[in-house]
Amino acid sequence: MDSIQTGIGFRREIADDFFGQSVLDPDFIELAPENWVGLGGYWGDIFKKATKTYPVILHGLSLSIGSPEEPDWNFLKHVKEMIEELHIKIYSEHLSFAKMDNAHLYDLLPIPFRKDAVRHVVKRIQQVQDFLGMQLTLENVSYYTPVAAEMEEADFINEIVEQSGCGLLLDVNNVYVNANNHGYNAREFIDKMLLGSVNYIHMAGHLQLSPDLIIDTHGEKIIDPVYDLFDYTAGKMKPVPVLLERDFNFPESEELAGEMKRLKEISTKNWRDYVVQS
Amino acid sequence: MWYNPETVNIERNLVEYCLTGKNKGIPGASAEGLKQYRQLLRNNIASILENAFPITNAALSTEKWELLLDKFHSQHAAQTPQIWKLPLEFVNFCSENRFSEKMELPFLNDLLKFEWVEIEVHTMQNIYPEPYEKQGNIASGQFIVNPEYQITRLEFPVHIYSAKASVAHKGEYFLLTYRTPVEYEVRFMDLAPLHVYYFNKLINEQCTADKIIDEVLKTSGQRLNIQELRNNLLDFIITLLKEKVLLGYKHLYHN
Repeated sequence: MDSIQTGIGFRREIADDFFGQSVLDPDFIELAPENWVGLGGYWGDIFKKATKTYPVILHGLSLSIGSPEEPDWNFLKHVKEMIEELHIKIYSEHLSFAKMDNAHLYDLLPIPFRKDAVRHVVKRIQQVQDFLGMQLTLENVSYYTPVAAEMEEADFINEIVEQSGCGLLLDVNNVYVNANNHGYNAREFIDKMLLGSVNYIHMAGHLQLSPDLIIDTHGEKIIDPVYDLFDYTAGKMKPVPVLLERDFNFPESEELAGEMKRLKEISTKNWRDYVVQS
Repeated sequence: MWYNPETVNIERNLVEYCLTGKNKGIPGASAEGLKQYRQLLRNNIASILENAFPITNAALSTEKWELLLDKFHSQHAAQTPQIWKLPLEFVNFCSENRFSEKMELPFLNDLLKFEWVEIEVHTMQNIYPEPYEKQGNIASGQFIVNPEYQITRLEFPVHIYSAKASVAHKGEYFLLTYRTPVEYEVRFMDLAPLHVYYFNKLINEQCTADKIIDEVLKTSGQRLNIQELRNNLLDFIITLLKEKVLLGYKHLYHN
């Protein structure tokens, strides 16, 4: 990476703030293919304009790498076309499942942390990577209950990354959320991650419902302890693109721009030397 | 598939709990965490459907709307990976399960169709029309249609009256929904059955107005008022041109 890159999820609700006298001026945008494939008319034009204006990272929602059934190869064809058309370097998805018995659930459910699940997910990743002809990048997801776990979350993620050769999308907010919800130390978790495999970082806000339950809403501003955890993480790894995720409860775009500025400052503090050297 | 059957069952049980609230046993799971997942999944569905169907939502009592959501959430196997297309599956689910009759909401299917068609036409992929001329002979010319349209048959005129008032006007209605070029504005036009016939002749059979009148007269045994019929058809074509449903006249190529 030859510059510090800070981006934001491109959402319809804030689309107007990207063009013209733009409040938001990200280095890149992130798009979910599911939200844009096959769209024509007004939103089709906005998609074209956005993808001509900014470099794009794709972040899918429906791959469901942890489902027993086969991936939806038909939809992946559309994703592949989008990857080729937009010269996408990073296609990320979630280390979770969102489909069962060929029915979509539209949310991310936790895969049981088990050896056979590692084996299954690794094979699926390899199938998808072969199909797309590129590396898949998978995100550590937030979860609200353990499910029949037989191993630690960190070991589960690491084994999958190591065995499959996929990249890691490290969602720092998810680490914070999970550490709170499941009673572990977030920094120790970061220490265990294969940070050399991280292709991309997500940062977001969350909603604390009770002392031991945080929901990963993407609907609030990023809190200071999550910025601190990002600072800690960035200090241990090489530069990668960093994304501000905001999906609901959108504030004025100036506030989002302020969050991106803070992410850039932390990135620059930690990665200035790498960028200067390159 | 490289899962052990036990792990598949655990995943399936988790999903079943999220959809139905029935817990068949998920080792190590916390009740509070499971409750959150069930709520999150349902909220996602509710949010997308409430955004897609604001008029239906407002026309139904909270109890009936929530009941429909519950049924859809627990019984429907969603097929689209694109959640913004899920409302179409809801339209079909309600129709196939005859909730209109079961819940005594005669207008339900039509109202859902009406709200969905606006989304469908607004988001449909661009279809580029054939080249056309802006000037031509209205009686003898062939027309190029704006291809971004749909015609929906309705039993209750929910596009004219409120949902409840539409029940008193049961009949056969045709709604033309189309997207204007450039501005991408979705517009509606109520079509009389005769106009649907004309529309089909003009667009699908590429007939001229003169030819349509000839055909109508032949099939009706010339008992109709020709001038009135002709004026009605020409007025209809003028309206379609003015409203950008018809874009213009077909090119006439000469060697």
